Amino acid sequence: MWFTVNIYRRLIAVQLKAQLQYRAAFLLEIAAAAITLFMFFGALALVFHRFGQLGGWSLAEVAFLWGLVELAFGLMDLTFSGFDPGDFGQRVRKGSFDQILLRPLSPTLQLLGADFPVRRLGRIIQGGVILWIALALLDLTWTPLKLAYLPLVLVSQIGFFGGLFIIGATITFWTVESIEAINIFTYGGSELIAYPMHIYPAGLRRFFTYIIPAAFLNYYPALFLLDKPDPFHLPAWTPCLTPVAGFGLLGLALLFWRFGIRYYQSTGT
Amino acid sequence: MSIIKVTNLQKYFKVAKHQRGLWGSLRSLITREYEPVRAVDGISFEIQPGELIGYLGPNGAGKSTTIKILTGLLVPSGGEVLVNGYVPWRERRRYVARIGAVFGQRTTLWWDLPVIESLDLLKHIYQIPAEQYRRNLAEFRELLQLDAFLNTPVRSLSLGQRMRADICAALLHNPDLLFLDEPTIGLDVVAKERIRQFIRHINQERGTTVILTTHDLSDVAKLCRRVMIIDRGQLLFDGRLGALQHRFGGRRELVVDLADDYPHAGVDGARIAHRDGQRVTYQFEPGHITASELIGRISARYRILDLAVREPDIEATIRRIYEERLLEKTGPMLGSNGYR
Ligand SMILES: Nc1ncnc2c1ncn2[C@@H]1O[C@H](COP(=O)(O)OP(=O)(O)O)[C@@H](O)[C@H]1O
Ligand SMILES: [Mg+2]
Repeated sequence: MWFTVNIYRRLIAVQLKAQLQYRAAFLLEIAAAAITLFMFFGALALVFHRFGQLGGWSLAEVAFLWGLVELAFGLMDLTFSGFDPGDFGQRVRKGSFDQILLRPLSPTLQLLGADFPVRRLGRIIQGGVILWIALALLDLTWTPLKLAYLPLVLVSQIGFFGGLFIIGATITFWTVESIEAINIFTYGGSELIAYPMHIYPAGLRRFFTYIIPAAFLNYYPALFLLDKPDPFHLPAWTPCLTPVAGFGLLGLALLFWRFGIRYYQSTGT
Repeated sequence: MSIIKVTNLQKYFKVAKHQRGLWGSLRSLITREYEPVRAVDGISFEIQPGELIGYLGPNGAGKSTTIKILTGLLVPSGGEVLVNGYVPWRERRRYVARIGAVFGQRTTLWWDLPVIESLDLLKHIYQIPAEQYRRNLAEFRELLQLDAFLNTPVRSLSLGQRMRADICAALLHNPDLLFLDEPTIGLDVVAKERIRQFIRHINQERGTTVILTTHDLSDVAKLCRRVMIIDRGQLLFDGRLGALQHRFGGRRELVVDLADDYPHAGVDGARIAHRDGQRVTYQFEPGHITASELIGRISARYRILDLAVREPDIEATIRRIYEERLLEKTGPMLGSNGYR
């Protein structure tokens, strides 16, 4: 265990050092990410200024959904970037996944340590700031349960999106042509759950509730934390499904990942 | 005890068949037809600890596929492999901790990092004791002349420098076996020679078992006592290079300086290929007459001042073997003239 932590720390340190070589590009990218997101948030504020609410939710309430998911996705992107399906597909096609298998370290650990794009800090800070503003505006009644629940939701989301990344990466063992389709689920999913689920058509909502359980990661936790009633009348324990969905998906993804590696070892590149 | 034992190794790949025309490509979207490629097709051999083996074959022969199986990257379709007491792909992580592998076209090092930092990282990954790391690094730095680029990022290294750095990286943990897939590909003569010398050194001084693949015969000729020749997935020859030459090398030549201008310098069992005054070049078939017999016959008739035996060009021999598929026609000569 200590060995794993130590190696992970070293792999990440090396990534940071390598990225410092490109400091200018790196600062620019953080700035660009921050500007894009602020503009987006500005546009959202305009919509609210015009209509006052979105599906019955106030600006601060939507900002809560939005900031939380941005923060989680940014943190996931920082840590799981080695599994980014596009990059990973390249790695497989170039044959450099072989190098991973040649080292006496778990491939999962090596990929977690294969990339640590600090430029994602733009998105992370952005998400954090918006979440913070939302919490300040909302004036919630905090209970110890809610205080413990919020960070659990955050890590569940990180696990959920990390799982989607891993599934996407694994699929590239079979085909690299499907990367766009995979990205729809990861990036599309993260944008979708940044808004209250009840504004979507029923089919889409059900798909992202029961097929891909994304609604349990953000919408239901928000209902609980913001003391809002559930328009779809799911049981009261539904918010407990957040870690189940998040870590369940991550666990399944890791199983699929193992299966994928075995497939890779039978076909090569 | 052999360190590698391979029995009837097979690796078949399924490759999607290309359909012709528009209709064909539409159809292949729905039902793909697969064609098996027999990359490795029933290979057996054993290797003893401390051997330095050349695995020779033309492009597409199945060399890399064999090495990938031996290093645990690929699972074979059939056959058995036991290396260093492990089935490579089954206990991959424990197994790879005791081997080193370099694939000519790819690097194990971190692309954006200075070489020395990659090496330092490997020290931790392989849990190399500090003293061993220090000693190995000092030795390899000198032998591979790494100092000039130890602080250069890997992405800016020349091919030869990168190969040297990679070989160093593969040996820091004192592996029992070293696998090199085309270690000299794309290098100039000087760089090739430096790498060959280093490989020889490691094999002799440390007793590391080395298997190197190449399609460059001079690698093998200069480095390996034992060579395995593979083509189309089959092992055609396993033995000393000399044995191969002996059998397929065609005619050897005996150049003799005679004491007199003999009008007829002919003997039975050899023909005169060239004559320049007292210097006569005889050609003879190694299968029919030995050099010493021939020398005996000549000296029985003529007085000899000096002589030299010229071996046929081995490069040409191998080319002929591939082109005319000589080994397949005669059946594989494993063991017969082979290595003991
Ligand atoms: N992953 C793969 N999928 C399909 N065919 C492959 C794969 N790897 C190798 N082959 C085929 O197997 C044969 C042997 O390849 P390889 O072992 O790379 O040869 P060599 O290294 O001797 O040049 C070639 O015909 C090659 O096209
Ligand atoms: Mg090859």
